[in-house]
Amino acid sequence: MNVLMPQLGETVAEGTVAKWHKQVGDKIALDELLFDVETDKVSMEVTAIAAGVITKILVPAGATVDVGTVLAVIEESAGATAAAPAAQPAAPAPAPAPVAAAPVEAPPPSWYAAMPPAMNQAAEQYTPPAAAAAAPGAAAAHASAQRDSHQRLSPAVRRLAAEYRLDLATVSGSGRNGRITRRNVLEFIQTRQSAPTQVAAAPPVAKLAPSPAAAPVARAPAPGPVPASQLGTKVAFTRIRRLTADHMVRSKATSPHVLQAVEVDFHRVDQVRKAVRDSWKAKHGHSLTYLPFIGNAVCRALQDFPHLNSSVEGDSLFLHEHVNLAIAVDLGAEGLVAPVVKSAEKLSVAQLADAIADIAHRSRTNRLKPDDFSGGTYTLSNSGTFGTLITAPIINQPQVAILSTDGVRKKPVVVETSEGDAIAIRPVGVLAQSFDHRAVDGAYSAAFLDRLRRLLETSNWSVEV
Amino acid sequence: MAELTYREAVAAGMQQEMRRDPNVVFLGEDVAAAGGVFKTTVGLLEEFGAKRVRDTPISEQAILGAAMGAAMTGLRPIAEIMFSDFFAVCWDIVANEIAKTRYMTDGQVKLPLVIKSGNGGGARFGAQHSQAVENWAMAVPGLKVVAPAFPADVKGLMAAAIRDDDPVLFFESKSLYAVKGEVPEGEHIVPLGKANVVRQGSDVTIVALALMVPRALKAADILKQQHGIDATVIDLRSLVPLDTQTILTEVAKTGRLVTVEENPRLCGWGAEISSIVSEELFWDLDGPIVRVTTPHIPLSAANNLEDMQLPNPERIVASVRQLVD
Repeated sequence: MNVLMPQLGETVAEGTVAKWHKQVGDKIALDELLFDVETDKVSMEVTAIAAGVITKILVPAGATVDVGTVLAVIEESAGATAAAPAAQPAAPAPAPAPVAAAPVEAPPPSWYAAMPPAMNQAAEQYTPPAAAAAAPGAAAAHASAQRDSHQRLSPAVRRLAAEYRLDLATVSGSGRNGRITRRNVLEFIQTRQSAPTQVAAAPPVAKLAPSPAAAPVARAPAPGPVPASQLGTKVAFTRIRRLTADHMVRSKATSPHVLQAVEVDFHRVDQVRKAVRDSWKAKHGHSLTYLPFIGNAVCRALQDFPHLNSSVEGDSLFLHEHVNLAIAVDLGAEGLVAPVVKSAEKLSVAQLADAIADIAHRSRTNRLKPDDFSGGTYTLSNSGTFGTLITAPIINQPQVAILSTDGVRKKPVVVETSEGDAIAIRPVGVLAQSFDHRAVDGAYSAAFLDRLRRLLETSNWSVEV
Repeated sequence: MAELTYREAVAAGMQQEMRRDPNVVFLGEDVAAAGGVFKTTVGLLEEFGAKRVRDTPISEQAILGAAMGAAMTGLRPIAEIMFSDFFAVCWDIVANEIAKTRYMTDGQVKLPLVIKSGNGGGARFGAQHSQAVENWAMAVPGLKVVAPAFPADVKGLMAAAIRDDDPVLFFESKSLYAVKGEVPEGEHIVPLGKANVVRQGSDVTIVALALMVPRALKAADILKQQHGIDATVIDLRSLVPLDTQTILTEVAKTGRLVTVEENPRLCGWGAEISSIVSEELFWDLDGPIVRVTTPHIPLSAANNLEDMQLPNPERIVASVRQLVD
């Protein structure tokens, strides 16, 4: 059976084979580790869904291919036959893999054409040897050349693609047999940079824009001292950094962001946290933070403000039935991911706490599944552990709102009691929401935040944990 | 500006320098009284006299031996080898003596001399009188190698070659002698080792020398008018020193290089340029470097075959299209 590049989330069109754990000729059992795959924000292990012998590996490690591409072939085996190819790796070789180029007879050195036989041709009929294929099998070789021509990239095209991090599959070639020329790439880069709605082109990593007029003499190191402003170290973007950068720019370009914030008294939440702190940790294996309480309150508030749990689709707003909470998880140097807790509105605070702890742990151990990234409808971003006052978060597209939970500190606050106002020491923090002004207006968002604050300050949280 | 033929420009350059410096003398076969078999030195005997402008016996070794001795002892001689093919009979003096003396004497003995010679094909002289041998000269360390394409450059480069303190081989294209062009009046110098971008395009860079320059320009016109391909054409003017800066700058702009050489294929100068460009500019190349040359055979005596052997505009066009399409 064919092993395909799996669908890694609904918006993901391609994946990269990071590593093959088996080689051609190896036996593989059901559910045995077959290969690692990387996509924009996840890397995961893929196990075999059939037992047998691997007869072909069509996509080498490191290659990025479309979802659904055949990566390998497992010949399913019944009992004894499975062992045969493995025991005899030198058995008749399988047919050449379709992607492998048919061997092409090496053309003679070009000066050969200038030797006497070529002189018999009239000048007008002079053709360099590459075009003058007439040997037996030339037709097949020619077809092969045509098929592979899009992969024959000149050094200039390869360099530009690397510097601008281009996916050349999106560049159409005007050269012979569709070959991509340097001009095609330069025009593509120019078009991309001038397109207003597109993500800004990634800057070249190696040197400043090599315009066609760039003189190569400029590559000689300039003599003299380097200005202080040019001293420093260049750190290339990692894959996840670049994807994050692209997403952020796209989000800011797509959604007019508005920030609103409320100050919340977490007194009641804190009372419950403190009451169950030790027993919770012993039972659940992780600390009970403010986040599941906030998440729970968000879900409840969104029931009354469904336009903030939505996506803009053309001229309409799509209101999601469930609240799928995306939780921003910092991976340190690795970057940022936002796995999703599905249907969070159905979960108690305790269940939500467990769910958040689970995806956070799996994020940090690289064990998220593609599905964990899909379907988010509202995002929580938690900077609070660092004691921030307020954060203006960027919307996680295609959602329309994101909430930042910042630091909770003890503060003197005025509380209203039956015996008049009094000053009390309360744990207070800011909740800041960026919303897409296309979707809703300020009053709507403010009313949501007010509801959220009241829920956090007045709910009977003891029943939730 | 005056309009001179290529051959008149040879005499104009020599005349300019002989008027300027009494140490400049000239010798060769039939160069004085006859004004040169190609009439490139008409009037020099009359103006500068038999002491400075001398006819010699038919002995290339004697001509170059005399020129070398004159240069060692303080004159600035110009010697003519009538057909560049004849360098073969005096190559020991050129390659082993003239080229190496300044090095072997640790700079104590300079050889400020010019060897001018009719070079190349297209003039119906057969295999032994039609060779383009600039690549022979280029292969010998210690020689400078100049081959102009236009009358103005003939005058200016001749003057620069005479003023240079090292031996310069000055190749005149026999097929260009009758070509006319504007030549600056008064003192005119074109520095050695400076290529000239004679046509600026965006699709492909054609590098040519001497007779191949007008043919490359003709090809560029056809490419533009009939095929929409815009070519840069570089006239190298000198092979040693070689203006690699201009070559690399122009190739980087277009990403494609075609060299057009009159010398035979193997180890022609285009191979050297191809090597330099692929080393220095590999990541700017958008296609293979293509060489257009005379085939690796002795030139034919038959007119139609000679025409077919030398690179012509049609062949240049075909090669460029093969590369660019």
